[in-house]
Order: sequence, then C-alpha cells, then structure tokens
Amino acid sequence: MMKIYSTPTCPYCITLKKFLKEKGIEFNDIDVSADGKAAEEMIAKSGQMGVPVSDIDGQIVIGFDKEKICKLLKIEC
Amino acid sequence: MNYELIIIGGGPAGMSAAIYAARKKIRTLLLSTNLGGQMLESYQVDNYLGAPKTPGLELVNKFIGHLKNFEKTASAGAFDLEIKEGVAVKNIKQAGPVFQIHTTNDIFEGKAVIIATGKTERKLEIPGAKEFEGKGISYCATCDAPLFRDKIVAVIGGGDAGQDTAWQLTSYATKIYLLNRYQDLKGDDKDLQERLKKEAKIEILSETEPIKILGDKFVSGLVYKNFRSKEEIQVAINGIFVEIGSTPASLFLDQMLRCNNKEEIITDHNTGVTSVPGIFAAGDVTDSAEKQIIIAAGEGAKATLAAYNYLKNK
Repeated sequence: MMKIYSTPTCPYCITLKKFLKEKGIEFNDIDVSADGKAAEEMIAKSGQMGVPVSDIDGQIVIGFDKEKICKLLKIEC
Repeated sequence: MNYELIIIGGGPAGMSAAIYAARKKIRTLLLSTNLGGQMLESYQVDNYLGAPKTPGLELVNKFIGHLKNFEKTASAGAFDLEIKEGVAVKNIKQAGPVFQIHTTNDIFEGKAVIIATGKTERKLEIPGAKEFEGKGISYCATCDAPLFRDKIVAVIGGGDAGQDTAWQLTSYATKIYLLNRYQDLKGDDKDLQERLKKEAKIEILSETEPIKILGDKFVSGLVYKNFRSKEEIQVAINGIFVEIGSTPASLFLDQMLRCNNKEEIITDHNTGVTSVPGIFAAGDVTDSAEKQIIIAAGEGAKATLAAYNYLKNK
C-alpha cells in the first residue's frame, strides 16, 4: 500500500490525500508531526525535510507532483 | 472551448469573481493551479469578516464550498461556471474579438478575461539557499514546522508572514532566531508583535540579514550580518524558514499588460480595467496599495461586474 508522510496543517498534503481519495487509491497516512521515528524515516528515504512525501512501492515522490504520482500509480491524472 | 469570461487564478480574488460571474449567468471558466492560493499557507486569519481566528486552510475550504455551489455540475445547470484545478496558464494571446488562454495541454477562448494570479514567494539568494532548499530550508511553516520539533531554527523576514511563522514555530522548536532587516517589526498585528517580544524562545535580531547558509547534508548553521555593528555572526541551527515577501505572478503575461516597476498590473481600482480592453485584473497581482484577502475578494467582485458591462456592450 502507498505510504504518505504528512503533517496535519500542510495544505499540499491535504490536496494530495483528497486527490487520491477521489481516484479510489488506498494509502497509509503517516503523521510525522506526532511520530519522530516516522519523521526520520521520511528524511532518510527522501533526503530532505519537506512534506508531503509519497512512497509508492519504494519509489519516492517529494511534494504533490501529480504527473509523477499518476505515472507511478498507473492511473489517469 | 469557448467562454464569455475566463478567470485566471483561484485565490480569494478569483473565487469571488467566479461567484459573481456565475450569479450574473455569465458562461465562465475558472482556471487555478491550487484553489485558495497564498491563503493555503496562512496559519491563522483573524481579519476577514465573519471568520475570527480561522486557520487559512479552513477559510479556504469555506470559500471553496461556497464557490462549488455555483458549479454547472452542482447546480443542475442553473449557473454556467466550470472550474478546472491543477491547471497552469502559460500565456494569453488576443485573436480578433477573443482571448486565447494557453495552458500546458489546452487552449481556451474567452471574450473577456480576469487576471487574479496573486503573488509568488520570493526565494532567498545567498550561498547555500538553493543547495539546502528542502534540506533544512522551508518556505512553508504550516507544512514543515512540525519537522523541527526540539530543534533550533531561524526565521528570515520580520513582516507579518515572518512573525506568523515564528509564532507557529514556538509549538515545536526550542529556539527561534527572527532576523529582521529593520529596527522594528513591521506589519499590522501589534498584539502578535508583543507576544513575540515576550516569548522566551524567540530572539529578535533587528537590522540583520542572512549572508550564508552552512551545512553538510542538511542545514547546520547560518551566518548573518548586523548592519549597525557590521559584525558577521555565526549561529548553529537546524532549520531556516523564509518569509521575505513575494512578487506578482504576472510574468506569464509577457508584457501584454502595462505593469508598474514592481511588475504589478496597473489597474483601475474602480473597475479592474487594465491597459487592454476586455482584460481585467484583481487582487495581489495588481498595483493595489494593500494586499489583503478581504481586499482581493472585493476586487474580484468589482472586476466581474465591470466585465459583465463590457460583455453586454460587445
């Protein structure tokens, strides 16, 4: 299942999650503001400290990069 | 696809313009990269009528909810408004009596246009600024502040946004340096300024500017200069939040409209009229003296009402 690292007040995280819900894509939403270990995991995987970060089967997407996410999920944008 | 009115920009100016257009039964298309615009990153809005101490995102959702009532699909065709999100406009061309709006994948035609594209944040341009973007440098505290829990951070910018950011960070960081190029904090929230001055975690560094950002894989230090003493001082930090103002999002117009020396669209503030008949402008992208959500919303309404009269006479 796709993983999303996010914070609760991040507007782009919310837009991303809304988009995925509309497309019927299931995801595991990890709140890095509450979970320090998850924050470290996100930073290690993405090499940076900005949210959102998506992990699609090991492929990392930083930010709400719609085109890249659609391509990796093999869906129409 | 042909429309009577095309609105470019989905912040408060664009959304207000779209509601007015729908209610005037104008066949309208609203194009936006991200509905809400700059407001999305506002921590808290307390000066919009009817919305006391409201998180920016929450206020945006209220605006969007209201706006979408007027969508063609939601109103069973009672209103003729189409909204396309995630769309970036590349340029505008005039083709006889219509304007062609070129996006990445499409061309839309409209008899009148309202530009409400707002502003884009100014980026830091000192050594390390590009290298460490995302690696300790953030331009969005509402997004990234929680990642700096128990860390030391610096906020560059002593205006409203910088003060807002510093305040947000007090929930997470252990220490916050607030670099202000002026002697006093600017902006209109005097209450917040008092709170910042009293907050033990915050050290306001007046008359300073950042010189260099240091680090290895991530930010670990900042060198700043004090204008008065001429000293250069280095501090150890883990994060930098930048709020140094913004520039009008008018570059895509490619000089089609007259702009002032700040690249703001010169606009008649009674009507939103610009230097090209049929093109109107509203909100932060214009030369409006003040850039506020409530002012942008008002200008959006004015622009649509003027566009309506323009279209009636075509």
